Amino acid sequence: MASDYPEILQKLCHHLKQLTGPDVEILPQTDLINQLAIDSVKLLNLIMEIEDEFDISVPINALADVQTVQELANLIHQIKSAKQ
Amino acid sequence: MTSTINLEEKALSSTIAKLSAPLTQAFDPRSSSESPLSATPTLNIQSQRLADFETLTAALEYAAGGNAGYNFYDAKGNLRSVLPYQTLRQNARVSAQRLLGLGLAYGDRIALIADTTPEFVELFFACRYAGLIPFAMPVPVNLGSHAVYVQQLRGMLEGGQASAALANVDYIGFLKEAAEGSQGLQWIGTPEQLGTLPVLDMPLRANHLDEIAYLQFTSGSTRTPRGVIITERALMSNLRGIVRNGLEIRPGDRCASWLPFYHDMGLVGMVMAPMVAQVSVDYLATRDFAIRPLQWLRLISRNRATVAFSQPFGLKLCTLRVRDSDLEDLDLSCWRAAGVGAEMIRPDTLRNFAEKFAPAGFDARAFLPCYGLAESTLAVTFSQVGKGFQSLRVDASTLVDKKLAVRVQAEGRKYSEFVNCGRPLPEHTVKVIDDAGQELPDLRVGSVLVQGSSIMTGYFNNPEDTLKTLKPGNWLDTGDLGFLFEGDLYVTGRRTDVIIVNGRNIRAQDIEELAEQQPEVRTREASAFGITDANDVTTIVLVIECRLTSITDRQSLTSRLQRLVYMAFGVNCLVELVPPHTLPRTSSGKLSRFAARQGFILRTTLTDQLSAESGDN
Repeated sequence: MASDYPEILQKLCHHLKQLTGPDVEILPQTDLINQLAIDSVKLLNLIMEIEDEFDISVPINALADVQTVQELANLIHQIKSAKQ
Repeated sequence: MTSTINLEEKALSSTIAKLSAPLTQAFDPRSSSESPLSATPTLNIQSQRLADFETLTAALEYAAGGNAGYNFYDAKGNLRSVLPYQTLRQNARVSAQRLLGLGLAYGDRIALIADTTPEFVELFFACRYAGLIPFAMPVPVNLGSHAVYVQQLRGMLEGGQASAALANVDYIGFLKEAAEGSQGLQWIGTPEQLGTLPVLDMPLRANHLDEIAYLQFTSGSTRTPRGVIITERALMSNLRGIVRNGLEIRPGDRCASWLPFYHDMGLVGMVMAPMVAQVSVDYLATRDFAIRPLQWLRLISRNRATVAFSQPFGLKLCTLRVRDSDLEDLDLSCWRAAGVGAEMIRPDTLRNFAEKFAPAGFDARAFLPCYGLAESTLAVTFSQVGKGFQSLRVDASTLVDKKLAVRVQAEGRKYSEFVNCGRPLPEHTVKVIDDAGQELPDLRVGSVLVQGSSIMTGYFNNPEDTLKTLKPGNWLDTGDLGFLFEGDLYVTGRRTDVIIVNGRNIRAQDIEELAEQQPEVRTREASAFGITDANDVTTIVLVIECRLTSITDRQSLTSRLQRLVYMAFGVNCLVELVPPHTLPRTSSGKLSRFAARQGFILRTTLTDQLSAESGDN
């Protein structure tokens, strides 16, 4: 089960690395928009990968409260836990 | 009709059996316990009437006698809910009687957060049955946009002076926040909460032609959103034009749409227009389209849709994000009207799309460029259905210097290419005027004005902006620039987008395009406008949303842009790099240059040094 938090964070960082390139350091508090340059098209790709990887559906309203890597990982964790 | 697939055209027959399989069979096994749904059919049992109704509810009363309707699909392409027009009518009438029980007065405004759901559509029609005026509000789309979104909602609630507001459980929290401290709101809740209220046993009055059908908010600027007032008369006139003249709707047509219900093209074009012609529609939520554009094309392919609209940006997403390996399972040969509108159409966007999807049977003759705006309900002009897109290449420098479109003859001349948006709908006239208000002949570029039966009554509770936009003789000033040629309209840009430096007209769009050609700059993340100081000297300002963090990189981009603008237009420009999401966008995602300019002035506190140069809207 990929529903424990550290594992989610690790997988998420793996996906983020593919968008940002290997040189960028990704920490839980890293800002997705300003520091990782996740623009709208990259965001769409990211959501698609997250949904496929974790077999979840990310509701659009929840993203309005997500700014950092940690917040996104939390959201995925919540959605996964709610599913079980 | 949908079964007549031309087998000679392409070797697609092998996939047809698979494609024609009803979507319900694709249900994932987990949901098999639910009762199986089936989509409303393409062929209707009732005889088709093309929008010859006096009002929207009259149209629904008729459509309820047939078996067409709306179908809602989820992100994986499974059918999630079906809303036949018959059920819509029943549910809307019951909800109308619940709304009336809230003690609302005839003509009160009802704000609805417009997610792509059957509930929204039911509520919209419930308002009309109850003599209330609905308006659609957007759903949040950006990361971390909570605060901005709430502010946007608040602006609309106030601008529309809403008496009640509804949102589904996903958005009710935002709505309640936005409504805090509001004086006018008498009721806020979810459709489920409304459903628990008593049904008032009150007869529902028929609507009349001159009552307001709905408000359409156009501006994404949070301070002053403007609600366009559309009457039943204007709405029905526009719908008639769209289904009869624009699309030439016929039996066998079926629509597929991802367009948001809070956008005029989504609401008027893909919710109301199909219903007034008793045509079935398959919906995909905007979010699901954006994440997996392929799903929209799959819907078209599998359900044999014939009519589907998109902004150019949506086509671009398809071109960019659909994998070549996905093309094998698509058969888009059924798609006869691929409407394109709502923003400037670049010919290359269409060419790239056509090239990418030709192997999947997409016929470029399906492209149907059109022009319109919420202030004219939706549509103003349509090109000819089935003819594809036409364009004109005109000399770029003559266009700037003389405001004249001269077709390029010689090779190597720098040109601008504009898409033919076609002719006005019946009962509408388009003219192009110069700054002095004089009507211009063919090929002269000026302001585009529209007169006709689907023009708005004005902006709700905003006489100032109404006066600026509706000129004497009820000519609507569209704010767009363009020219006419042999009766067809070519839009060249927004008027606010023309920067006059030393008597030369420079299109802001051209500067932005230049910026967007830089690898660091993405499309729709550059905004250019002019700032005029007290000495009447105009400076071009280019604001770029920038993710670069290193000072050297930022300086390199800034100086390169200045150099390029100087090289292209011979003028200096000021470059400002701002964080992402700084530039104001309209609810349809367009950049608002006017608002960008206001923002720049605020940031740089140049206000007092600048002359009170008026932006036009």
